[in-house]
Amino acid sequence: MIFKKIGLAITFSPNGLPLIKTAVRLKNLFNSQLYLIHVGHRSPQVESQMNYLIENSGLTQESFHMIWQEGEPAKAILRAASENNIDLLIAGALEKESVIKYYLGSVARTIMREANCSVLIITSPIRESRPFKKFCVSVDFSSIGETTIKKSYEFARLEKAEEFILVKEFEVPGLAITVYDTGSTSDNEKRKLIWQKEEEEKLKLFAKELNLTGINYSTVALFGKQGWEARNFAKNNGSDLFVVPSPPKKLKFFDKLFQHDLEFVLSQLPCSLLIVRE
Amino acid sequence: MSIAETTVFLISLSVILLFARGFGELLRYFKQPVVMGEIIAGIILGPTILGTFFPETFNKLFNQSDTVTIALSGITLLGVVMLMLVSGLEIDLTLVIRQSRSAATISFLGVLFPFSLGFVAAYYFPEELGISELKMRLVYALFIGTALSITALPVVARTLMDLNIFKTEIGFSIITSAMINDLIGWIIFSILLGMMGVGSGHGLEFKSLIITIVIFVFVLLIILRKLIHYLLPLLEKYTSFPGGVLNFILIAGFIGAAFTEYIGIHAIFGAFIVGIAIGDSANLKEGTREIINQFVTNIFAPLFFVSIGLRINFIDNFDLSLVSIFILLSFIGKVSGSTLGAHLSGFNKYDSLTIGFGLNSHGAIEIVLGTIAFQAGLIDEKVFVALVIMALVTSISSAPIMSYFIKKGKEKSGFLSYLKTNNIIFSDAESKNEMITELCRIVSSGNKIDFQILYNEVIRREESMSTGLVNYLALPHARIVLNESIVAVGISRRGIEWDSLDKLPAKLIILLLTPKEKPEIQLQLLSEIAKKFADPGLINNLCEAKDQKDFVSKVKQLS
Repeated sequence: MIFKKIGLAITFSPNGLPLIKTAVRLKNLFNSQLYLIHVGHRSPQVESQMNYLIENSGLTQESFHMIWQEGEPAKAILRAASENNIDLLIAGALEKESVIKYYLGSVARTIMREANCSVLIITSPIRESRPFKKFCVSVDFSSIGETTIKKSYEFARLEKAEEFILVKEFEVPGLAITVYDTGSTSDNEKRKLIWQKEEEEKLKLFAKELNLTGINYSTVALFGKQGWEARNFAKNNGSDLFVVPSPPKKLKFFDKLFQHDLEFVLSQLPCSLLIVRE
Repeated sequence: MSIAETTVFLISLSVILLFARGFGELLRYFKQPVVMGEIIAGIILGPTILGTFFPETFNKLFNQSDTVTIALSGITLLGVVMLMLVSGLEIDLTLVIRQSRSAATISFLGVLFPFSLGFVAAYYFPEELGISELKMRLVYALFIGTALSITALPVVARTLMDLNIFKTEIGFSIITSAMINDLIGWIIFSILLGMMGVGSGHGLEFKSLIITIVIFVFVLLIILRKLIHYLLPLLEKYTSFPGGVLNFILIAGFIGAAFTEYIGIHAIFGAFIVGIAIGDSANLKEGTREIINQFVTNIFAPLFFVSIGLRINFIDNFDLSLVSIFILLSFIGKVSGSTLGAHLSGFNKYDSLTIGFGLNSHGAIEIVLGTIAFQAGLIDEKVFVALVIMALVTSISSAPIMSYFIKKGKEKSGFLSYLKTNNIIFSDAESKNEMITELCRIVSSGNKIDFQILYNEVIRREESMSTGLVNYLALPHARIVLNESIVAVGISRRGIEWDSLDKLPAKLIILLLTPKEKPEIQLQLLSEIAKKFADPGLINNLCEAKDQKDFVSKVKQLS
């Protein structure tokens, strides 16, 4: 089973209904339990809004758990997730937020940065819940990278995805400086191609060890900044789900100032995003 | 400028570029840094050679008219400002700030050792180290310390490329440490310039000068850096590309340079910091970096480096003892500091030495530093000449020394380091399972690993997909609970059916066991082994080995 317990952060925005439908669809797909988490005061009015969402999502009363939380939204959601051992947290988010909001931190971004479990972010506007067809998975050769491939591949197989691309970025800082002393741009181009091929061979070998069977997958190696290149690749490729392993350390304010890896992705989501944590 | 002066000016420029290119190419032919050729071109065109033997030609070209001299010095200023702008562009600030612990340790010790050594030597033996004014003792000692700590990124980068270790952990550590060194070095140097009160014609006191520098650096590297990041895509979109971006870089660089010159530290510092602020952006395309690098390197940097030789007589000012002291201090301080740092962060002996000598190349940046100190009157001709020679000697020596240690290091890492004679068997096994059993047995008895667990894991992997590759090679492998990877080799002269891709039997069977939690180690070794034994004729030759020892020595000879 890829995910045993799915948690959904519920809002009453226009995205509320499509989001809950997505969660229900994934619950059925993964055959997992569903937890609906709402943060805010529990009033009759809120309850009737909630009932409306639930009825229209096709959920029956016994098929989910409802969690009411109060307090600061992001913290409350994260607390509910860890108290209930949720292993996939779903939330909606804007592709890009205003600069001020980016630095102050929104609920969705805080969840992406700080959750202890995997996080699936559906980008707004969400129209209807459709299967994800084009997976783009950014990997590194670590054990979390391995888990990321395994989980997302299983996910893609269940979705009967049309495309599953594994992307590996590699960074060689200072390469342009070699032009300075007797180097040439064309030499650098050639060298980059050789490295790219090397990296792709490794990626193929890495994927082969995981014995992925069911749907076809392809591999791509990209030269450039970690996080940045893969994000742009997913965007230009028209992928509808971008999957990344969680960074080894939680992202802090400092990382927004000096962006790297996942922070590049968070500042502007290429499409819906799945962050895999072990 | 009169017609005659303009003519002389243009001719001087073309002579400078011609000689710079000629000697640059000559040195390139000998696989040496081009910068050195440019310095030699200057020495030949300057008072040292041309001025001594053909004083008339020399004077006519470079000395006769004040206007021409001023025009030339304007251009060399432009050259050095652009050179530092480009150096800044190449510093990946995010990388420097998020530096791995290893890069931090290497660069910290790599600065601390030479800096303290240089400082102490110059403070306690100022005369032996060529001080010109004793009252400047403290500043002078600080300067010598800084001069010894500098690493030149361009030379280092080129060397890494030539030795084909750019995209390795060693290369990465050297580059990031060199970036950190550079940044620290220039900040110390800018403060030094402030202490000397050089050109502080605008009445800033030392304290307010330091505050201004801090604010300048902070505003540029935190706030403006972000704005530039958002601005670059707009420039790409709405101006002609890459022209618009190139122009923007130069405009911003010159403004920054003007500002730091105004507050009383040298113009290059501003250009350098602006370069960092721009270069950090992921929106700056690799191609743009290379273009700007090319035109600065081929046109403006040579003008600057040649001009050095034009000002100074290198023979009259050559002081053997000073030169030897500087070279010695650099080798002792820089190499030992960086090597120790690398060793403390977990590199083995040879890799650490590779890093140590790699960071010891002072190159072009040292020469820029020396020139400014010389112009500011902090050092005299003799010290300057010694610094230039030290920069050249360290730059030339780093590549061959590194290459020696890399060769040594190769035997101590990767596949070869795991290859042990008692884990090699010449086998008559008739089947795949029999072979795997034999290999698992020797590993299990030699390493206290449960045979059954080991065997099951290897077979399980084998069943999911055969590990028979091409050219008689099979690579059964598994990840188990282990600290160190283990390699066992089975040689089957008759060959065993292994369900290989090319249907050939397996003659060389390498069992590879790596730590469970580290898939990257397995990947590294698998691709190294597959690459090493890719040559078709190779394995038959290896199977002819007389015994285990012979086999290992044959493998060692492979590239």
